[in-house]
Amino acid sequence: MRSANPADLALPFGFGRRVTGAALALAIAALILVLFTSILSVSVAGSSASSTVDLPHLLRMTAIQAALTTVLSLAAGVALAWALNRLKFPGRDALASLFAAAIVAPGLVIAFGLIAVWGRAGWVGDFFGLFGLEWTGSIFGLHGILAAHVILDGAFAARVLLTRLDAVPASRLKIGQSLGLSPLKRFMLIDWPALAGSLPGLGAIIFLLAFTSFPIVLLLGGGPANQTLEVAIYSAVRLNFDLEGAVLLALAQLAFCTLVIAPMLYFTPDISVGGSTADYHWPQTTGANTLAIGVLGLGLAGFAMPLVAVLANGLGPGLSNVLTSEAFWDATWVSLSIGMSSALLTLLLALGLSLGRSAFNSPFARLTVGLPAYTYLIVPAVVLSLGFFLAVRGTGVRPQSAAPFVLITANALLALPFAMAVLGPALNAIDKRYARTAQSLALSGWQRWRYVEMPLLHRELGLILALGFCFSLGDLGTISLFGTNEFATLPWLMFRALGAYRSNDAAAIAALLLILTFVAFWLPTLVFKDKRDA
Amino acid sequence: MFRLAFLASALVLSTLPAAAQEQPTLTIYTYDAFAADWGPAPGLKAGFEETCGCTVNFVAADSSIGALRRVQLEGDTTEADIVLGLDTAVVGEARATGLFAEHGVDTSRLSLPQDWSAPDFVPFDYGYFAFVYNTETLPEPPTSFEALAGDDEDLTIVIQDPRSATPGLGLVLWLKAAYGDDTNEAWADIAPHVLTVTSGWSEAYSLFLNGEADMVLSYTTSPAYHIIAEDDDRYAAAPFTEGHYAQIEVAGILKSSPHQELAQDFLSYMLTPEAQENIMMTNWMYPVTDITLPKGFAPPVPADEALLLDADEVTANKNAWIEEMLGALR
Repeated sequence: MRSANPADLALPFGFGRRVTGAALALAIAALILVLFTSILSVSVAGSSASSTVDLPHLLRMTAIQAALTTVLSLAAGVALAWALNRLKFPGRDALASLFAAAIVAPGLVIAFGLIAVWGRAGWVGDFFGLFGLEWTGSIFGLHGILAAHVILDGAFAARVLLTRLDAVPASRLKIGQSLGLSPLKRFMLIDWPALAGSLPGLGAIIFLLAFTSFPIVLLLGGGPANQTLEVAIYSAVRLNFDLEGAVLLALAQLAFCTLVIAPMLYFTPDISVGGSTADYHWPQTTGANTLAIGVLGLGLAGFAMPLVAVLANGLGPGLSNVLTSEAFWDATWVSLSIGMSSALLTLLLALGLSLGRSAFNSPFARLTVGLPAYTYLIVPAVVLSLGFFLAVRGTGVRPQSAAPFVLITANALLALPFAMAVLGPALNAIDKRYARTAQSLALSGWQRWRYVEMPLLHRELGLILALGFCFSLGDLGTISLFGTNEFATLPWLMFRALGAYRSNDAAAIAALLLILTFVAFWLPTLVFKDKRDA
Repeated sequence: MFRLAFLASALVLSTLPAAAQEQPTLTIYTYDAFAADWGPAPGLKAGFEETCGCTVNFVAADSSIGALRRVQLEGDTTEADIVLGLDTAVVGEARATGLFAEHGVDTSRLSLPQDWSAPDFVPFDYGYFAFVYNTETLPEPPTSFEALAGDDEDLTIVIQDPRSATPGLGLVLWLKAAYGDDTNEAWADIAPHVLTVTSGWSEAYSLFLNGEADMVLSYTTSPAYHIIAEDDDRYAAAPFTEGHYAQIEVAGILKSSPHQELAQDFLSYMLTPEAQENIMMTNWMYPVTDITLPKGFAPPVPADEALLLDADEVTANKNAWIEEMLGALR
């Protein structure tokens, strides 16, 4: 992978990074291959009839939903990030953390929060009721699915984009201010270049999340008219045990989604700015300020209300019951240790891949290194769980013993694209700004990391640790076949309670889970805050 | 890091050959709710271990179908001696795998919606699918599918997807058993009342409890939980004149099990009054033997109103019937 760039030929820098990145990408691709072949190589006693699936129809429907989700989430994310960046107020970081907590909370929890606000028996209805009016809107249907997805993904986008805006160097702001840029010009000339590099990576993730969404789509879809290919794959495995059919559908999903996201990743604009930051104050016009307050207000109403609803419902009758149960503390301990392990793994993988990717000059090589991490999101959960189960059995290890390792690996891989979407643009920006200096000082890869990149990436590293941690609190879907009774995490405990009529307990666990993820996102912003502002 | 090291050593230890054990271990694959702390498993384990001179090990998959799938994947090398929790809708498929042995348990005195003579599966509890409603907000619930179809459009129900949830499949079978060739029209008539079709029972039930729908597809025994465990008597199951579809939960012994006798003893134990009482009060289903129902448990549907389709017929037509339902609701 040599580039024609003469400057690059002159320096041996980056060889180790390229090898590491390529090796990791290869390993992830190989793992996916192993999962698929494990399933295909098994011959099963008594597999029943195959199902009929209208593939083109499902692909089209799912793609429309996912595309709408992506566009709306990115728009909401940009607007919110912009408003949060402009309005400096105490508690801003905490608020940003609250938004980010949404994406890692179990999706169904958020969906139920949404219903608690907008549903027939929801707050909005109650509010209308105060004035003797009747709320007749329904949250069920395509718009309900989109709303839930945008709350989950848009808030996450806002969190990531905010780190980009906060990283705009004070020098740029100073120049902008001295030129007397209008709010619109300021956004176009200063903010947009900082954001643009992050949008394709974020968009790809959001598209994939929406494309493979399952329980939320069914819950809010209002009937089988709204569904995703993921549902069909699930049904092929569970209901019909048609493994070959399931693998084919999964491959179709893989091919289709790769075709969609590969160009997005390939054409990522290389205009990222940033790398250092300072609390530079550039007063805004009253108009822009009002707009920012308005956007934030809307964001609070739309995004935070469902989360507040989850907290309000949870911090009630079930709470003491849950807090005094041994199962809860066991699950908390398991969740914390799994979470921390995979957060570390996520961080290492993301660093290896991102540093490797940015050391390549050719966009194609960059795509090749980055893509495998994303494809992991496309493999349906039910296929992953089958594949992991069979792969582990193939090695002769008892599934129950391997469960924690599989969970840590699977969760780390799941969080990986998110981590890369955070790290990639930030690294590019640093490269742009400091590559020359680093070259002229003849820094080794390690020195460059230690003295240039790491100090400038504190916020991103904190965010990645939080993401990796919170994702791993997520569900046990990947080890659903492994034997889960002696190994419970908080989300699993919640679904278990829900499945046994204990809805108060489930609501309490959901609220506690949300608080935990909130703290996980907020802590790093405190800890990692200040190296750069000093 | 310490934690990782700990996990690593645990892995190494657990892959070593087990130290010579004095007593046999009976491994039972079941669904998650059955094995949960508040489910029947802990009581059954304690009760059986008192006399069996063995260790009972429940291994929970996420669902009963998951447990069956795992055994199918493992084939002869499975650790499982028993698969517990399959229901009448998948029994035909389980039988077709050829993995299950004869149980040799006397099932002649069971009291079930229909006579049970299957040599390979032993029933341990049963229930009926029904629509549960809140008596305070819906004083006059519909009394049949027909009445439901003709009711005010505002009357909403939540049901589950037959591809991912047991009750969802149960409703497909219920309508088929009640309406036969006219099922398609029946679905179409009900469709306007369906608020949404969730992937699992929990989501649907939560929607109902939160007041988002008037009725939810569940079991005739669901109100018993609220009455007995929560002292809340607002909820009831609506009796439908077309009858109610039965769900019988069964357990089967695997041919590959080296502990055939022990497994048979366990299945016999499942039918003792002690075990039946435990299952009833933790799984919230009817006992399969004649033990007294506690106050709060509505008596089972009269035998002539119980619906149940032949297991082989279900296996053969399940997909077509599900397609019919999805088509009608789309």
